[in-house]
Amino acid sequence: MAREDIHVGLEVGTTKVCAVVAECRDDGDVRILGVGEAPSRGVRKGEIVDFENASKCVHEALSDAEDKSDVEIKSVWLAVTGSHIQSFNNRGSVAIAEDSGEITEQEIQEVEYKAKEISLPKENAILHSIIQHYYVDGQEGVLNPMGMLGTRLEADFHIIHGVMTRIQNTIRCVREFHIEVEDVVVNALASAQVVLDPHQKEAGAVVVDIGGGVTDFIVYLDGSVRHSGVLAVGGDHITNDISIGLRIPITRAEKLKIEEGSAVLGQALPGEKIILKNDTGFSGKEVEREMLNTIIHARLEELFTLLRKRIVDQVPEHLLGAGVMLTGGCSMIRGIREIAESVFEMPVTLTRAQAVSGPTSAFENPQFSTCIGLTKYAQAVRSEMPEESFFGRILRKAGRKFRLPF
Amino acid sequence: MITIPRYLDRSANPVVRLVGLGNAGVNLADRITMSGLNVDVVAMNSDQQSLSSSVAPVRVALGPLATRGLGAGGDPEIGADAARESQAEIEEALAGADIVFLAAGLGGGTASGAAAAVADAARGAGALLIAMVTSPFAFEGRRRAAQAAAGLADIVARADAVIHFDNDRMADLTAPRAGVSETFAACDELLGSCVQAFSRLMAAPGPMSVGLPDLISVLRGGDAECLFGTAEARGDNRAHEALEVALRSPLLDRGRLLDQAGALLIHVSGPPSFSFAEADAVLNGISKHINEETLVHLGVSTVDDPSAPVSLTLIGKCGATARVEPVQRPAARKTAPVEVRPVEPVPAAQPPEPEHQEEFASPEPAPPPRPAVVDRPPPPERPSRVAPDAGKPKPTPPKVRQETLQFEPVARGRFEKSEPTIVEGEDLDVPTFLRRNKKH
Repeated sequence: MAREDIHVGLEVGTTKVCAVVAECRDDGDVRILGVGEAPSRGVRKGEIVDFENASKCVHEALSDAEDKSDVEIKSVWLAVTGSHIQSFNNRGSVAIAEDSGEITEQEIQEVEYKAKEISLPKENAILHSIIQHYYVDGQEGVLNPMGMLGTRLEADFHIIHGVMTRIQNTIRCVREFHIEVEDVVVNALASAQVVLDPHQKEAGAVVVDIGGGVTDFIVYLDGSVRHSGVLAVGGDHITNDISIGLRIPITRAEKLKIEEGSAVLGQALPGEKIILKNDTGFSGKEVEREMLNTIIHARLEELFTLLRKRIVDQVPEHLLGAGVMLTGGCSMIRGIREIAESVFEMPVTLTRAQAVSGPTSAFENPQFSTCIGLTKYAQAVRSEMPEESFFGRILRKAGRKFRLPF
Repeated sequence: MITIPRYLDRSANPVVRLVGLGNAGVNLADRITMSGLNVDVVAMNSDQQSLSSSVAPVRVALGPLATRGLGAGGDPEIGADAARESQAEIEEALAGADIVFLAAGLGGGTASGAAAAVADAARGAGALLIAMVTSPFAFEGRRRAAQAAAGLADIVARADAVIHFDNDRMADLTAPRAGVSETFAACDELLGSCVQAFSRLMAAPGPMSVGLPDLISVLRGGDAECLFGTAEARGDNRAHEALEVALRSPLLDRGRLLDQAGALLIHVSGPPSFSFAEADAVLNGISKHINEETLVHLGVSTVDDPSAPVSLTLIGKCGATARVEPVQRPAARKTAPVEVRPVEPVPAAQPPEPEHQEEFASPEPAPPPRPAVVDRPPPPERPSRVAPDAGKPKPTPPKVRQETLQFEPVARGRFEKSEPTIVEGEDLDVPTFLRRNKKH
């Protein structure tokens, strides 16, 4: 009988704090037991700006999740994001001891250590170091060099790093309630766990997770991470643009964006107006639909153009066979796929968590991709499954290296 | 009447003459001529072909009989013969100079052979001699290296200061894949900026000034390599930028070589808005790199021009601290000073902006071939990279610019108080449609 583990994924987002409790079996099955949610306060652009308020929200979300799943939460896997998170690829190399010539665990650890010997700003810490592939005596594309013979082992790693103190703020928010943080995972990496299947990772795919405050992206090619990053622009920016452009309050702008907004131009009838009903403190207004759509279009087009530039810098677009996967709350805006396709010139798919079971409402909502991804990530790290273990082992090591100093 | 050498007299404007000797020297001379720097440029070579294509205003053919204008062919003996033959011309070209920069690429025939003769002529004219030489690339072979060493010894024995750069290091100036001409141009440019930095240094008054005595004491004697880095920067982060760029000089090896400096001259100058805190930041940044033994000559000065950049110059010499005793000068030297002239309308203590004053008063063209004019303002404080502007009066409006106040014209809405997201120079928190002016 397969062992069952319960993992909790927690994301302190800009718009909402959510916690997903999932039962993960080591045959790869993930079943969601409950989802706790709370509207977020005190978070801007994915980072905490008001500690007290943010921890209240975390508390609400965790209690909500406990109620719904009937599980007592002791530890969580935490998603982190923010514009301070950066990444790059680095190669490490070691010479293998003359006498045996066999590559052992020690050499593999050493090569990773070498790859991480880079000069980061002193306040930054490495969050993840993800193996891309090994080279044994220049032979490319070695996936597992353990036990191979050679004189020189090299390895390409994708290294994600961020500002230590900012990450610690999020961690402290959770520790307040005496709940352990198992590990921190960057948003995009978590989302990719449930949005992409192994074939897509192999064929080359981009995951773009547009949240409230930030947009995370990650690029997979040949089964490993090639590029990742964070752009501090998200759904809030669209709301803000609408609020400024149409001169309406933020709350109305948010509602208008969700109910009426579209990113496609030229579909509104000429002069078509949307009537905003009066409300307390708001006297009602008529806005032009085309104006609304223009504002959304401009913002999203710019966002995708910036993303495309960053992605193509590292990975040529023709290698990305599986195209772009859009996820995150903001991917629910009408017409976002069309505009993404026109900018990326690649097939774009709106996705959400796949290969999980449980309450449908949870995994069908792209807002929960990251959280569900966290549980899947946790399972990959913890399980001993043959096809996952390699990736998992590397990830686990990465996690252990990142000690949380308290 | 007190008698002091003219080159030490701040009220007088010393005649600075740059002599480019040999092929490399002529190239540099051309570059300096074109950069419009305020020095007399003299090109000297035994190779007539190189001279004929030179744009230097004064050209001296060395040994037209000894070499028949075909150059020294890499033999210092022939170079020396050529110099001996043309001694009269050399002396004539150097007459009246107060400071002579001798620029030469050692290792060939002309520069290595004739350098001694030119140096003697410069001293004969009573000028201060600052030699600026490069040693050959390692791939040019042992023979050239040996010739260069001999030539360098000749120069060191005669010059007041020697600036010696290693070509091998100069090659690092440009990217590995840069073209050959680009690399050589970069080398020349570095030497040119060296001359500019020197003249800037000598001209600038200030609360803590450095002048020729400091420069000489740093560079005196020895054939050790020189350290040199210079930079100019404007804008908010100018102090930091100037420091970064100056340290990036390959002749400092990103500041690492500063550790080996026996003596170091640091000169920082800036517009009136240049604050003490900024100067402090720059100097602190440098002091991290130098060791405790280094003798530091520090100069801080300001120029009156508010639009002037912050400029930083580092000049040093590897190895032990320079000797204190001065180089022996010919006896004639000491008795050939110039009397201190009566105080002129332009007071000595305030040479800033003499450039403008002079140019306003007499909008005469500033052609490169300049006779040994005695009354000349100090060289420009900023390197003006104006291409050959011979014959054109320089348009010099008073450089007083109204500072524009940065104000936030556009709303950032709810992101007003949060950390801005600046990507490629645009504040992404400001609505896209406003930035693109998209009003449908």
